[in-house]
Parts: sequence; C-alpha cells; structure tokens
Amino acid sequence: MKRTVVPMGPQHPVLPEPIVLDLVLEDEKVVDAIPTIGYIHRGLEALVERVEYTEFGYVVERICGICSFMHGMGYAVAMEEIMAVEVPERARWLRLIWAEMSRIHSHLLWLGLGADAFGFENLFMHCWRTREEVLDIFEKTTGGRIIFSVNRIGGVRRDISDTELAAIVEKLQQLGAGFAATARIFETDPSIRHRLSGVGILSREDAHAVDAVGPMARASGIRMDTRLTGTHLYDRLDFEPVLETAGDCLARVVVRVREISQSIDLIRQAVDRMPKAEGAPIEVKVRGLPTGEVFERLEQPRGEVIYYIKANGTKYLERFRARTPTFANIPAMIKLVKGCDLADVPNIIMTIDPCISCTER
Amino acid sequence: MDKDAFLARVDRYHRDGWRLAIINTTSILPAEGMDGGAFDISWSFASDQLIEHVRERVLPGEEVPSISTSFGAAFLYENEMRELFGVNVTGMALDLKGQLYQTSTIVPFAPSAIRARLDALGRGDPAPKHEAGAKKA
Amino acid sequence: MPMSLFKRSPWILHYDGSSCNGCDIEVLACLTPLYDVERFGVVNTGNPKHADILLVTGSVNERNIEIIQNLYRQMPDPKVVVAVGACACSGGIFARAYNIQGGIDQVVPVDVYVPGCAARPESIIDGVVSGIAALEQKRKRSA
Repeated sequence: MKRTVVPMGPQHPVLPEPIVLDLVLEDEKVVDAIPTIGYIHRGLEALVERVEYTEFGYVVERICGICSFMHGMGYAVAMEEIMAVEVPERARWLRLIWAEMSRIHSHLLWLGLGADAFGFENLFMHCWRTREEVLDIFEKTTGGRIIFSVNRIGGVRRDISDTELAAIVEKLQQLGAGFAATARIFETDPSIRHRLSGVGILSREDAHAVDAVGPMARASGIRMDTRLTGTHLYDRLDFEPVLETAGDCLARVVVRVREISQSIDLIRQAVDRMPKAEGAPIEVKVRGLPTGEVFERLEQPRGEVIYYIKANGTKYLERFRARTPTFANIPAMIKLVKGCDLADVPNIIMTIDPCISCTER
Repeated sequence: MDKDAFLARVDRYHRDGWRLAIINTTSILPAEGMDGGAFDISWSFASDQLIEHVRERVLPGEEVPSISTSFGAAFLYENEMRELFGVNVTGMALDLKGQLYQTSTIVPFAPSAIRARLDALGRGDPAPKHEAGAKKA
Repeated sequence: MPMSLFKRSPWILHYDGSSCNGCDIEVLACLTPLYDVERFGVVNTGNPKHADILLVTGSVNERNIEIIQNLYRQMPDPKVVVAVGACACSGGIFARAYNIQGGIDQVVPVDVYVPGCAARPESIIDGVVSGIAALEQKRKRSA
C-alpha cells in the first residue's frame, strides 16, 4: 500500500507546545512516528557556567511553567543534600503542601486541555475555572500564579499561618466537592467513553518495557510512584498510589481525576499532622561552596523527575541535568501512536500529558 | 571501556526487571594528559524504590555501545548524548541522525565547546580555587 | 482605548516560541471563565490567515525563526504582533543560553511588549487591547 508521511506540528491546534511527529501512514493507519524536538530547546543546563549556584534555582524553576514549584523544590532539595543542610521541619511540610497543590492545578489544567482535544470544550472551561481557585491560594501564599520563587536552598521564603492552613484545607475540600460533578462526567459520560475507551492501550508489559513513568505507568497497572520512597515527609502520610489496569486513554484520564482528590486528602493529612508551630524557623542560612554530586528524585504531576547535580567547590556548578517525566514518556507515546488511526493521534499525544518545555530544557 | 562486560551488566539489570531511569553525561574539561577532555557517563536503573548507577569514563571518539537492545527507551538519551555532547554512540534502535535538537551551537556540551565558553567569560581556570574554604558534603 | 469602543472582533493567533509554558498557560487562562476575553469577541484561532494579532510567547531560537516568519507572512494586513512575557521581549532569563537568539523583535516587527515572568492575564489582556489600538491606527493609515 502507498505510504504517506503527514508531518504533525510544530504549530497544530491540539498541541499547546511545538513538537513535530512525522507520521507515516498506510491509508488511515499510522505505521511509524518519528519525533523531532528542539523548538523550545534553550540550553538552560549550560547556564550553570554563568549563573551562580545560589541563583540557579530561578533558572531551574523556569524549566517549565506548570511544574515550576516542583522544579524549584527539586533543585533546593538536591543542593541541600550536597551541602548537608538540615532543613527546618516546617519548611519541609510547606513544600509538601505546595507540591500537592501543584499536582492539583496541573491535573486540572491537563484535564481541560484533554477535554479540548477530544472536543468537549465546555468541560475544558469547567476544569480551568476550578483551577483558578487553586491559583488563588498559590497567589495568596507565595505571591505568584505561575513562578513562585518560594524555595531557596535551606528552606522556604514564606510561612503560612496555621489559621490560613486550615482555611486552605477547607477551601480545597469545597473545591473537591464541587469538582465531583465534573469528575463524574469524565468517568461516566458515554461520548467520552466512546472516544477514549479502548484507544491507545499500553499494556503493563509494554509500559515496563518502554520505561513509562507517572500516571502513564499507573494507568497500566504499575505501582510506581516516587512518593512511595517516603522521602520529603511522605512517609508520615497514608499514601497508596491510584492505579488503573486498562491502560487506555480513559484509564489515564481517570487516574488523574482521582489523583486530584487524593492530593486534596494528602494536604488535609499534612495539615493535621504537622506540628502547630507557627513562627517556627522556615529556613537556615547556607554558607560555603558545594562539593559533591547527587541524583535527586521527585514525583511531579507527570511522573518521576530526576535531577543530577555535580558541584566542584566553586560558586558555579559543574553540571546540572534534569530528566523530566515527559522525556521518559516519549518512547511510550511513539509506541502507542504506531498502529492507531490518524484521528486518534491527538488524543493519544494529549493523554501522556506532554510538557515539551520540560523535555527540551 | 570494556564493552562486553558493560553490556552484560546492563542486560542483567534488564533480566532482573529494572527500568532505565536516566542516562546522564558529564563533560570533563581538557586537562593534562587528557587533551580532548572526557565524558563521565552514568546509566541509572531503578527498581521499586532502589536506584543504581553504572558509570564509565570515555574519551571523545571512543565507541559507546547502545543499550537499546535491552532497554528500548534508551534511544532518546543516546541521540541526545551524541547531539549535545558528541559521544560516539553506536547501534541505536532509532537513529535520529542529528535531527533531534538541531542546536545552533554545534555540539554545545563537547568539552572543547564548554572550554571555549568559559574562556570567553574570562573564567580560564574552572578548577576549585578556594578548596580550603569549600564546604565538604 | 476602552474595551467598549471595540469596533471589530480581533482574532488572535498564538505561537509558543521557546517558552517555559508559563506565559502560554496565562494566555489560555485569558480565554477561560475567570478572565474570559471571548466576551469581547476576541477569538483564539489556529489559522494564521484568519488572524489579526500574532501573540508570541517565549524567545527565538534557530529552529523557530522560520516558523514565526511564516506565520507572520501568512497573516493578512493590517496585522499586529504582541510579544508576551520577558522571554518574548528580550530573551529574559534565557537570553544568554547557547541556543537562544533573543526576543521576538529579532525576527518580526513587534508592536506591543507585555512584561512579566510570567506575564499576568491582566497584562496580557492589556497588551491585546493596546494591540487593537495599534491595529486601528494601521487600518486608518492604509485606508
């Protein structure tokens, strides 16, 4: 049969960010997909040559505007490990709370974009309206909507009062109750089922073989979540990752829908269990020059992120590297696209929750 | 590097059910006895909560075998190693032939390229100057 | 110019240069219920031939020069370019990264600069409104 190559991207209505897939088609079936990236490649890892380690956190945060909090936190945590800094407990709790709030806003954002991709614009608007409420909390507690700069090596810059924390929990629980109706649509609406169920199936074995991470792996039944390592105080919370077994586009949507309520619950647990110690120190002064190297792992909304930092005793780091979850999920995306219908390609791409600026750095 | 021993080690991780977590390359700047610099490459594998690293030091031009027969997803890291660092990776499952990033600086992380950028910044000696004052981790 | 004086519905084409996503999300946030610029007739289109205003976020690298120029060329006259965020204005924090060439004005003429990292939805809307004023002026000149 005659083969046609359809280039998809870099500017495409369903893609929020530029990436190119050369889709090789036989009639309507995709038989191969070749990725090209580089449209957002900035080369920020090389900025360690110019930016001192104390200020490099601002660059790391700007790897991606969705996970900016988690990137800032990952850098701070990794540097603290290299420099053997003991961070005040309250700062660690606050980081956990902001990190889980990042997951809520990121999943809402994605659910909206996903709904837009499968042609349900009303749902897109509902998700984004709900997301604004999370951003309001962010703005109130950190001062920013997108870039927070609230992490620093040695702690965090701002405290949240105990009454404010209680108010946040209440607000998030209301948000969760309000979102339940939207969540039900995602899980049960027949038109969404029709569009996503059985589409782009990634079996458990395949998910393992292509090293998928995050909700992508969990939707295929792999119990994998960096939060299970218990680092960053997750060992003090009751946590069991959300798993689905179908491995199709719908399962990936459902995992993210359920993780929103899970994150709300984790924040509730955190506020319950953290010491009521308003005014306790939230940062320690960090002095000296770092020497050593570290691999640091965190669970971002899109999955596991790994930072590698090597410091050589000068104020400039020798190497900074971030392996973001989307980078790890691209092989899975390529695997899924092969053999599907052309019309399903946008949905499959969207359900890996691609963050291209993370991937290319 | 001993290619056969390396591949056997990687394959053992594969058979034991580990997943590939990250392949990271660090450029080592040219120094005495190592005019072209070098690369420290680490392959990291994860299983449940564990993470282990296999590390090799290779010289520019030295052949580094692809591990994509064991770990299919390695091709993205390996293409990146070749495009951004100039590591001579051979036998990749999907060879993007330098089309992945198409950066404007050719091979931006090659030891010589980093050296040139540091020289332009007037930071001739990147080696630790204040070793005594450095805080040991 | 106050929004009540809009004579026409400006259509917007958004392109993400080498952006971190932050400004892109804020551009999208402008369209959603809290800010809802669509009530003023502002529509986000994917087709450059339908667009009056090119909204660019993020800076320019070698690969996207051609794409931005292509999109700009395909837009009908009169047209206006709005650079959203620090990166689009000057390259921002990434200005000296090896793969970044600088702001959008290196490639296409920019009419309105919107500052901020990330630019807030209020300032993006303000930038679009200033863009509409610039569009009206261009239209009068060409009439």
